[in-house]
Amino acid sequence: MTLSAATVSAIAAEVARYPSKKTALLPSLKLAQKERGWLSTETLGEVADLVGLPHSNAIELATFYAMLFTEKVAPVRVEFCIQLPCALAGAEQALAKTAKLLDVEIHGKHGTRHGHTADHQIELHGTVECYGGCHRAPMCRVGDEYVENLKTDADIEGFVKDLKARAAAAPKQH
Amino acid sequence: MPIDYQPILLPNPGRRHAVTLAEYEARGGYVGLKNALAKAPDEVTGLVKDAGLKGRGGAGFPTGLKWSFVPKVAGPKYLVVNADESEPGTFKDREIMEIEPHTLLEGIAIGSYAIGCELAFIYIRGEYTVAGARLEAAIAEAKKAGLLGLPSQLKKADGTPFALDILVYLGAGAYICGEETALIESLEGSRAMPRSRPPFPAVAGLYMKPTVVNNVETIANVPFILEKGVEAYKAIGNPPNNTGPKIFCLSGHVKRPGNYELPLGKVTLRQLIEEYGGGTPSGRPVKGVLPAGISAPIIHHSQLDAVLDYDGIKGAGSMLGSASFIVMDDRVNMAWAATRMVEFFRHESCGKCTPCREGTDWLEKTPYRIVDGGGKESDLDTLMYVTKQIAGNTLCALGDFATSPVVATLKHFREDYVEQFVKIERKSDRPASS
Repeated sequence: MTLSAATVSAIAAEVARYPSKKTALLPSLKLAQKERGWLSTETLGEVADLVGLPHSNAIELATFYAMLFTEKVAPVRVEFCIQLPCALAGAEQALAKTAKLLDVEIHGKHGTRHGHTADHQIELHGTVECYGGCHRAPMCRVGDEYVENLKTDADIEGFVKDLKARAAAAPKQH
Repeated sequence: MPIDYQPILLPNPGRRHAVTLAEYEARGGYVGLKNALAKAPDEVTGLVKDAGLKGRGGAGFPTGLKWSFVPKVAGPKYLVVNADESEPGTFKDREIMEIEPHTLLEGIAIGSYAIGCELAFIYIRGEYTVAGARLEAAIAEAKKAGLLGLPSQLKKADGTPFALDILVYLGAGAYICGEETALIESLEGSRAMPRSRPPFPAVAGLYMKPTVVNNVETIANVPFILEKGVEAYKAIGNPPNNTGPKIFCLSGHVKRPGNYELPLGKVTLRQLIEEYGGGTPSGRPVKGVLPAGISAPIIHHSQLDAVLDYDGIKGAGSMLGSASFIVMDDRVNMAWAATRMVEFFRHESCGKCTPCREGTDWLEKTPYRIVDGGGKESDLDTLMYVTKQIAGNTLCALGDFATSPVVATLKHFREDYVEQFVKIERKSDRPASS
């Protein structure tokens, strides 16, 4: 399966945009991931070919940057910041409450917590990476979107309702 | 009582949508650029030097001096704005980009003219998609109005057209991109790993061409200097070492977290927490404050009367850095807080330098063993030994930063570690907030 004509065209535009085609590799990988959801070895090779670089260049980036996924991820990916400012504002409790309402068992401890719904439509993460939303903590990212001020039970209940709606609307994983 | 001060970087507190070009021009926007273009580039650099502007990203290096290092040779030169704001507790650049994009663009245009750059980059952390989109929209507005472009409709002092394009580039999740040579590596399409220096970026930076890397807030200070003049800028703050305004990010145990733009040297840490932040939500006393995100030593509660400027925070035993203040009340166990911080550095170490790659792993595991109830007193000696193996032995400052949470919390709050040894139950994730 090849990337869509729109993505191929967008990658060509990235290559034309910068003084060096290698600069275009990172945004091109993100474009491919936006279409496919993650970056398989085949996709990495396809993007590298389109940019005009060795496949190893694409693998180097995909295995370094946190926002590039080399394994499948759920269609609704939720990342709670549990770094210090958010933790002080109750982020761990917000993550736990969200997990409970979604019936998700959280594995791991400290800053590497994760779990998913039984249908794999939603995955939850507690991360130590700060997202710059400390003044509106607790907060998380859902895909590329920021969801902030998850302070009260009512905030989290509304948030979980939204997550379930997103999961229902997304293509089924299993 | 909050002091009488009219913000110039974030003049619209509470606003959630971007200032338009028309709004910006109505309050004097792009006058600074036009003033700059009427002068010789070296004169512009000289004014920024005279104003005493220091880098607002953390290092505090004089901005005009940095510009003056760029050699006056033919060929491409680049201005790269470091918008990879990833320090925990820091969210000031996000607000500048999301709400005041034209202030940043005007500052870039002035800086680019000063160093002879015709293609500038804004390297934004990948998560800041809203900031990226708003900057793209603002660039389009400025191009349409003839303020930017190859060429623009503006004329330089020598009568030739001013030419500048600005490209927005989003990263993909790596704290290390805040380090300028790692950022350059990332922009070149490689893994973000710091370079050894020399050569410095001013000589051989992006694509091995002369390059200046400046923080968002630093560049956002520049238009005011060119619009209102050096003396007006120096009148804000506490000259000679602490001129101009600073955005203080306030988070953690405060009632009103947020960005507070204030003159350097006019407010104490206690005032920031109590008068601007409203004090702790619990009403409990402050135990400690991190002043530069998690990268600088924690300030003990006995130092809350420190003045908020470069010298005042240094006098309190820390550094101002990005001025991101994380407040903790007296219920927080500092060993717990340190574990969360060192876990960040272990996660974000790029892995290039062995002391940092291996050392941050030890720095994470040892305190976690302590707070999980399996530690012993000699672990504290091990921790201090490891910090000495890392500090000063890495290409960039991340290694040094990683040692700070452990060294400073052990210095000021050793009892918080010791009390863990006598606990029977596991308390790794004890709640630290109300």
